[in-house]
Amino acid sequence: MTGPEPDATTSPMPAHDLELKRVTKRFGDFVAVHDLSLVVEPGQLVCLLGPSGCGKTTTLRLVAGLEEADAGEIWIAGRRVNATPPWQRDIAMMFQDFALFPHMTVGRQVGFGLEMLRRPKEAIRRRVREVLTTFEIADLAVRKPDTLSGGQRQRVALARALITEPRILLLDEPIGSLDFSLREAVMLELKDVQRRLGISFIWVTHDQNEAFSLGDKVVVMNHARIGQVGRPEEIFERPSTRFVASFVQGHNVLDGAVESVEGAEVRVHTPVGGFVVPARETAPPSPGAPVSFSVRAAQLTERPGVEHRNRVCATCHAVEYLGSVRRYDLRLEDGRSMKYEQFAAGAARIAEGEQVTLGWRPEDAVLHLPADGGA
Amino acid sequence: MSTLHARSPLGYLLALPASLWMLAALVVPTLFIVWVSFWATRTFSLSSPLALVNYAKFFGRSTYVKLLVDTVQQSLLLMAITLVLGYCIAYFIVVKVRRPALQLGLFLVLVIPFWTSALIRTIAWIPFLGVTGVINQALLFLGVIDKPVSAFLYSRTGITLAQVSFYTLLATGPVAYTLRNVPPSLREAAQCLKATPLRVFWRITFPLTLPGVVIGQILVFLNVMADFATASAIGGNKYAFLGNLVILLYDSGQLPCASVIAVLLMLSMLGGVAVLLKMVDIRRLGVA
Repeated sequence: MTGPEPDATTSPMPAHDLELKRVTKRFGDFVAVHDLSLVVEPGQLVCLLGPSGCGKTTTLRLVAGLEEADAGEIWIAGRRVNATPPWQRDIAMMFQDFALFPHMTVGRQVGFGLEMLRRPKEAIRRRVREVLTTFEIADLAVRKPDTLSGGQRQRVALARALITEPRILLLDEPIGSLDFSLREAVMLELKDVQRRLGISFIWVTHDQNEAFSLGDKVVVMNHARIGQVGRPEEIFERPSTRFVASFVQGHNVLDGAVESVEGAEVRVHTPVGGFVVPARETAPPSPGAPVSFSVRAAQLTERPGVEHRNRVCATCHAVEYLGSVRRYDLRLEDGRSMKYEQFAAGAARIAEGEQVTLGWRPEDAVLHLPADGGA
Repeated sequence: MSTLHARSPLGYLLALPASLWMLAALVVPTLFIVWVSFWATRTFSLSSPLALVNYAKFFGRSTYVKLLVDTVQQSLLLMAITLVLGYCIAYFIVVKVRRPALQLGLFLVLVIPFWTSALIRTIAWIPFLGVTGVINQALLFLGVIDKPVSAFLYSRTGITLAQVSFYTLLATGPVAYTLRNVPPSLREAAQCLKATPLRVFWRITFPLTLPGVVIGQILVFLNVMADFATASAIGGNKYAFLGNLVILLYDSGQLPCASVIAVLLMLSMLGGVAVLLKMVDIRRLGVA
């Protein structure tokens, strides 16, 4: 653990925008966030990704100061803020339902933060006009929220949150309540705003595509814990726990037991056969120990060569055509599903009901131990 | 099932029974009272001339006018007290108590006194307020006073105490309802926009619950204006409001005078409600 001076109010280290140190939050007997540590650097867009109830929103609320941590420390810009109320933290938050004030016009609403900071009236008016123009909602200034569309509400909420120029913007499922057709555009627009302002965003989502296409850093959470933190590519290519591999789409997870450990390779026995998986640097499992491994759907091949030493027999159940790839849902002998992505160009389509042998190279699989946690 | 169109004649038909009842039980008697208030003679006669003599008599007597002022004053006092008290109770139950079971329990506790009739509730205050009553005993025990105070029973203070206990709930309910419709995320959003709790209250919570506040205030205003039982039970014969005067005059057979006061009471109630409704659009209740 770092931070040898728990009483110090300023950190001797160069300031991260946000640092969570072993933060825990309980609601009664329910542990919402368990021993969570996380660092956000200035200007980063960090996505908290996980299924509902995994603690991602609670983490956001802890940063905002809307919940109080039971243990651990929260540092914003080099200041310990555990005892600092929300209105004194250098953050802004966008709520899932946008939480627009129904009795205020858009103009009043957007200026609210500056009004609370007791800025002069003329300065507020000028700044509101500027911000409304930036977000292309100047013509909505006198409207009340109940007359706005979903997309307009979203812009108002963003403008309202950013007008105080916070160091960190917290976004709780910011596009989750929008029409599907709007999401992509709004997502890119938000990212653009983030890049232009250079402030850090902490973006909570349960949508993997959102997290992977936006995040400089993705934090996969499950059961109040962090499963994996990394760049989207790292998480997609090397999921570090069984949960992360099963949560992130495009991976196949197989469970079994260790048959033998041969140098750098582990032989894993599963109900659908034995497979070779690379061992990891740390703690080789002993024979008989339960383990899992994952392999990406895109790294399977239906024409295994010599290097594809792992083979499995499967029957085609369904196929989705996605333009450049075909995504197959196959069934293994024990009835489990296996995903396979085939480059559509130059490959024959596998018919439903057809049997194929899929192969993959041992080095494309990732071994998961139960001790990895986050399961 | 077919739906009923807004302008369908069937709609009027459905409203007919209730309308007839209201007409017979409310509108006609009210018009009758107004008519009686203009009688120039003491007894009923269709040929009796109509005149303003009864109104002149009322406004000519300073004790009557003072009673009108007292009644309005008492209403305003009760409105002020129940507004603050009722809002605090509603805020506590809805916002501070998070467990639904506890919320319901506290509401039931508030409602318990209303399981008994208004008369019994009023009489029950007498042993509390008297010279040897509970309040005096408690204050003596605590050493706050060294001899019993007689200011509670048969006094304006006693009437006010009892009325506050009766009418606070009327001011609490509508506020609690509107407060429940204010999403907690609005308060949180305001906090994240640098608003201190006090400013969150005045800028967000209070404006959004204003319809509930006004409805509660209307209920309290109307009830206190019309209340005669509390004044006669707890005020004894030393204190009275307009309602008591109506009974007094009615009992002594002065129907036209009693009607004048009833009409004035109704007019001040209508005026008060009009002023309160000017403040807020209650049709927006719950839209927040």
